[in-house]
Amino acid sequence: MRNRTKLAGTTVGLAFAAMAAGCSSTGSEDSATASVSPDEPVTITVLSGTITEKPDGDVEQAFADAYMAEHPNVTIEYIGVPSNELQTKLAAMASSDTLPDIFFNDPSFAAKSVDLGASADLNGILNADFLGGFEQRGLELASVGDQLVFVPWYSIPTGLIYRTDWFEEAGLTPPTTWDEFTSIAQDLTGDTDGDGNVDRWGVALLGSADLSGAGRFIPILRSFGAEELYEGPDGWETGYDTPGGVAAFQLYGDLVNKYQVTPVGTLSTSYPEAVNFMSTGTTAMMISGSNAIGAILAQNPELEGKLGAVPIPHASGQEPAANLGMGGYSISSTSENPEVAADYLSFIVNKENQVAWSDATGRLPLRTDALEAISAAGGDLAGFVDAIKYGYAPPQAPFYSTILLAGTDAYQKVILGQTSAEDAARGAAQATRSEIENGG
Amino acid sequence: MKTRKPAAATVATYAVLVISSLGVLVPVGWMLSTALKSGEELFSQDAHWIPLNPTFAAFTRVFTDYPFATYFGNSLLVVGASTVIAIAFASFAGYGISRFQFKGRGTLMGFLLLTQLFPSIMLLIPYFKLFQGFGLIDTQAALIIAYVSFQLPLCTWMMVGYFRSIPTELDQASEVDGAGRLRTFWQIVLPLATPGVAATAIYAFITGWNEYLFALVLTSSEDKKTVPVGIGQLIGQYRIEWNDLMAASLYALVPLTLIFVFLQRRIISGMTAGAVK
Amino acid sequence: MAASSPTARPDAEGMRLSAPRKGRGKAPRRSRRDAIAGRVFTLPVLLVTIAFVAYPIVYGIGLSFFETNLVNRWEFVGLDNYAKLTRDASFLDSIATTFAFAALVVAGNLIIGTIFAMLLNRGLRFTTFFRVVLILPWLFPEVVVALLWKWMYNPIYGLFNSELQSAGITDQPIAWLDDPNLALFAVAVACIWKGYPLVMVLVLAGLQTIPNELYEAASLDRAGWWGKFRFVTLPALRPVLLAVMVLETAWWFKHFTIVWLLTSGGPAGATNVVSIDIYTRAFKNFQWGDAAATAVVVLVITLLLSGIYQKVLNRDED
Repeated sequence: MRNRTKLAGTTVGLAFAAMAAGCSSTGSEDSATASVSPDEPVTITVLSGTITEKPDGDVEQAFADAYMAEHPNVTIEYIGVPSNELQTKLAAMASSDTLPDIFFNDPSFAAKSVDLGASADLNGILNADFLGGFEQRGLELASVGDQLVFVPWYSIPTGLIYRTDWFEEAGLTPPTTWDEFTSIAQDLTGDTDGDGNVDRWGVALLGSADLSGAGRFIPILRSFGAEELYEGPDGWETGYDTPGGVAAFQLYGDLVNKYQVTPVGTLSTSYPEAVNFMSTGTTAMMISGSNAIGAILAQNPELEGKLGAVPIPHASGQEPAANLGMGGYSISSTSENPEVAADYLSFIVNKENQVAWSDATGRLPLRTDALEAISAAGGDLAGFVDAIKYGYAPPQAPFYSTILLAGTDAYQKVILGQTSAEDAARGAAQATRSEIENGG
Repeated sequence: MKTRKPAAATVATYAVLVISSLGVLVPVGWMLSTALKSGEELFSQDAHWIPLNPTFAAFTRVFTDYPFATYFGNSLLVVGASTVIAIAFASFAGYGISRFQFKGRGTLMGFLLLTQLFPSIMLLIPYFKLFQGFGLIDTQAALIIAYVSFQLPLCTWMMVGYFRSIPTELDQASEVDGAGRLRTFWQIVLPLATPGVAATAIYAFITGWNEYLFALVLTSSEDKKTVPVGIGQLIGQYRIEWNDLMAASLYALVPLTLIFVFLQRRIISGMTAGAVK
Repeated sequence: MAASSPTARPDAEGMRLSAPRKGRGKAPRRSRRDAIAGRVFTLPVLLVTIAFVAYPIVYGIGLSFFETNLVNRWEFVGLDNYAKLTRDASFLDSIATTFAFAALVVAGNLIIGTIFAMLLNRGLRFTTFFRVVLILPWLFPEVVVALLWKWMYNPIYGLFNSELQSAGITDQPIAWLDDPNLALFAVAVACIWKGYPLVMVLVLAGLQTIPNELYEAASLDRAGWWGKFRFVTLPALRPVLLAVMVLETAWWFKHFTIVWLLTSGGPAGATNVVSIDIYTRAFKNFQWGDAAATAVVVLVITLLLSGIYQKVLNRDED
């Protein structure tokens, strides 16, 4: 705060403008502790990226409507922003102290939101009994240090989605190792209509230089026993250039260039493109989060019952890995009604709502009771419930997304044949280390 | 242009014009074709120009499944208001700069250019803070003011250029009649500037109509959002509703295209004397 | 000159940004009242500009001396952010990419826009139709332009590959946005498609101010079309072209939306223009000081470029 005045000093002569900015910080001094009486009207604003999605938004809005029917004094007001722009909006709100009561958060933003002082510690707001009903993994990922930053609201664990009908036809079983995976991918690549052109490929590989691409690569990297970023004895370290890391980059290059089991355009294949490949029967497998199943079926309902999922393959001697792909809601540190906000959040994660939500969206809950119900029902999401136990916590470094993008840059270079896997791995590691130096 | 053109040159001109028009019409046609396709047909490996089962569903969905009627109303209100204000201010300034000599005229013009040179992404936060200070976040007023500020620099340039092309003898005559400056401006100079005003207004309208980022950040509730923000919301985290998106985009084109079809002559003759001079 | 000049002469004056113009030959006693009137008439523009241009820019320049996340970390670091930029290879790369990108788009817009304007100015039949059609891309929101082209570039479902393949020109689909050598061009093509109509309209307007007598005189001198273009059209268009070049360079140098939506800066950084760099630093990494310093560098570069244009294009005139 002290330095804010300093900055204002540099804008001397523009007192009019500076004043305008200055009076933006209206506090909420007396409310944080005051509990709300049941009939006092309260409005809770929620900044959400899911509310603008279809069908996710409709389901979420229905929860809000149900809650408001139960609590006539409460108005739940959603602020919908496409998820790609969420952080832009949040930055603007945070910089002028106008955060909504509840805002969307995820593990990659959690540390930053704490750094910004935006999120309240939920351990003090939600009771311990209720928190005990979450998967332990989920709570760990939603915390920074001892602070619980957000209520886990869904998880999209990484798994391998495959066409059960084609596997059956070819007498294949889902791969558990990467060697099995490549050989199956080759088996399933071919010309199905006999016109001499390959029209079916083994795998829809996400090779785009964005966080979607990284979201697939990192679990694969970890299934080779390498970690992009971890906390060592002397601070942050990277395993991009370990032998496992090199093997992961090599796998990307080989799938595209050596085995040619991916459709053309790998580098601009991001999530929507990959979903299209699956829904049109262009590819047989895809590494993705659980929501992809719903997205594929939405585009092509005929695939109902023809999709299955298992945890992703792994290198020999290693374990599968899954990015839990969690999202959740934080209560902002400036909220005037944190108790009401907390009550609403505990409402949307109750068992009934969570099961309905995951049925509609393919996003898995992190409530133990709801997960058990889904596993017991044995639908196409059940395979993903198995993957949750391999879920890892993305490291909570403020510069983490830069490290992810260093990985995408490197696999693109390997796919393009610009560098060898070794050099690409070295490049990614180097970029990571210099980021650690600058940012840590 | 009165000289007789050799036929070959005319043929070549038509050839180039036809081919380049295709360069515009093909993508637009592809939009239309995409908007008419059903969800399943969108992702077929062999793309068809004429949809196999054309459907207008996307065109109705835009208004039934999404509040595009509201978005259109907001866009018209915000962009209309900001265009009127920007044109009024720009005309005043154009008149002032072209008719009166005072220190700092050139500096003001240069200053206006500066707005075009600074990366607009960095303006986002200061704008947000300003509007926050005035309690205008999530209001149409904020968007109107923001758009005025985007439209003004070039509009002012254009109006200055246009007023300069209007002979000053006329206003001197009017002053001799004893008319005040404001009346001279209003009754003599502005009417002469109508084509320039039209051209400038079109520019301003397009600038505002297509703006996305600031509308996204400065508004929050559904009943304040504009058309580009609505279109942006069709791009989901995990998928894009291509047919709905194209249908909405085609609707968004309608007002601008209508204006152009009816006013294009005036626009270009207005530009003639405007910015370009 | 000029302000009292009765005819609509196409001179460079409107575009001369900072040179105050000479007197209008009025009696000196009027000049004070003139000055007041002039100030009053320009006041609204001045106020809006100060609040919404000066303040944000000064704010941005101020930020560039801080290490800050805009909320609770404000550390004055002097020129450190700038020093860091000079050592930052990705920043230098992105500046180079931006120069290449802006040069491609501005040159494309100017050449295509000018050619179309000259063709439309011949006054042939159906000109109205072509004029409306050729102006259409200008009316599209950038978001739509980007998505439309992304959709057409799509290697599997896109229009280009489907047409090229069915015409037998290529047998393998081309991944336009995947190839580092193609991606910048592919992005530039989409931007030119969006950008040329404005140049076309402005040049067309400029062409209509050229008196026919000049062409007739040139014909008497037996000038061919090239001669007319070189000695009549180009000089007359110089002020228009100067204005267009200054604005276009500034706009495309800091362009964000279309590139962001098409490639997000990929593949392998091939289209990582400086606005994307700024956006990432500011809104993804919350390194507002770095982002602001980068923005100031962009401001300086575009200022320098517009200065150079004015020098070069006004030189032959004197």
